[in-house]
Amino acid sequence: MSTERAQDGDRNEAASSSGCSESYEFSHAAAKAAVAQVCESVGYEHFKDPALESLAGFALQYILQLGKTATSFANLTGRSQCNVFDIILALDDLTDNGDEGISSESCSLGRSVKLREIIDYVNSSEEIPFSQPLPRFPVAISDRSRNLIPSFVEIGETPPGKHIPLWLPAFPDPHTYKETPMWIERVSDPRGDKIEQARQRRKAERALLSLQRKLVCKLSSRNPVWGDMDGVKEEMREDESEMRSVSPSISEEKVESLNRDGLSVIEAFAPAMEAARDGFSSEAHTEWKKKKPVALSKLRTEKKFLGQPLDLSLQMKGEDRPLSFVREEDRDDKRRRAEFILRQCMENPVDLNQL
Amino acid sequence: MNHGQQSGEAKHEDDAALTEFLASLMDYTPTIPDDLVEHYLAKSGFQCPDVRLIRLVAVATQKFVADVASDALQHCKARPAPVVKDKKQHKDKRLILTMEDLSKALREYGVNVKHPEYFADSPSTGMDPATRDE
Repeated sequence: MSTERAQDGDRNEAASSSGCSESYEFSHAAAKAAVAQVCESVGYEHFKDPALESLAGFALQYILQLGKTATSFANLTGRSQCNVFDIILALDDLTDNGDEGISSESCSLGRSVKLREIIDYVNSSEEIPFSQPLPRFPVAISDRSRNLIPSFVEIGETPPGKHIPLWLPAFPDPHTYKETPMWIERVSDPRGDKIEQARQRRKAERALLSLQRKLVCKLSSRNPVWGDMDGVKEEMREDESEMRSVSPSISEEKVESLNRDGLSVIEAFAPAMEAARDGFSSEAHTEWKKKKPVALSKLRTEKKFLGQPLDLSLQMKGEDRPLSFVREEDRDDKRRRAEFILRQCMENPVDLNQL
Repeated sequence: MNHGQQSGEAKHEDDAALTEFLASLMDYTPTIPDDLVEHYLAKSGFQCPDVRLIRLVAVATQKFVADVASDALQHCKARPAPVVKDKKQHKDKRLILTMEDLSKALREYGVNVKHPEYFADSPSTGMDPATRDE
């Protein structure tokens, strides 16, 4: 039906344009649809848009006028709510009853021509319900907006200011309008950082020092036992790992300290070497000769150790070692090492502080 | 006294008829939806929780619109039919609600709706449109 198409077109236009604020446009479009339906029941097939719009406007004006007149009649008698007689009076007021006029008895059914006409109309005409489902348009949005923002009472907040009552909607959270930091800011403490760094440096140097002392101790105290090298090697590896755990930025200082101590190590080695040679002169020469290059290589590796601390383990691995010695020596070594460190700490507090 | 009694009885009858009518209104669904009528009545200050009264207003409006539309239809039908050029004898006139018919119909209700002309190029512009061709 072309009327329906026209209706739908009008309704769609009005609906799309009423997507923005005006509730007037929506209600006007709905009224136009209703009026078009009524005209269709009368007999019309097509509508011209200006005619339909003006007729819908008239119908709305009729409703408004009826309401206004009925309210004024109710207010006249001291009531705020209207009843059926107010409407009947208003109906008569709107119709042009030139000769009759409003009489006191026109409220009743018998006298009110208009009402009789309406009753006849209701009885005679067929029922045409509105074609589209109509939502409760003026109220729904405000309900939604009210529900979205809870009041101070609902949240459980006290409003910031005595002049704000509790039943009003609550203020938005500060993160919506203020820039708050997204992460917990760590307070940077440069002095603390430097102290921490110095402490780690000292720890590394202490480890190095202990390593060198161990070497000295081993060579001086256990001269006949050259197989001890494995244990020393293990210790050196552990010390290296200790050193590696410290930050690489302080490796230069490590080298410097080593240089300082390395000379003392070589000096310490010299008498140890002589003592070893003297001690072993009675024993098998071959054995000693075998071990001797090991010691020399040890010295060599010691020298290299000064320059490149990290290559030590590789060089030591390349030499022959009796394996049985390693495990027995480990336990003893650890014990002796702990004792040695303690002794050194007690005896030479000055040296440690030098580092 | 008799007259008073009679009028009293008539009143009772009237009231009974009224209540009956209002009850019958609940069965009849007016074309104009209740929500729309309630919205516009609220705009004018009409306050009533009773649905029947709102339906009464809706029915009254519907009757008004139907009256105006039927009058316009009469005017539309009363206009002489267009010239039939082909061999068909009787051609159904397209019943279109136009501003002219509407203005004629509304004049009887005391509403003056006059659509101004686009061009005023002849002396008869703005005169009674019934005398002019479409």
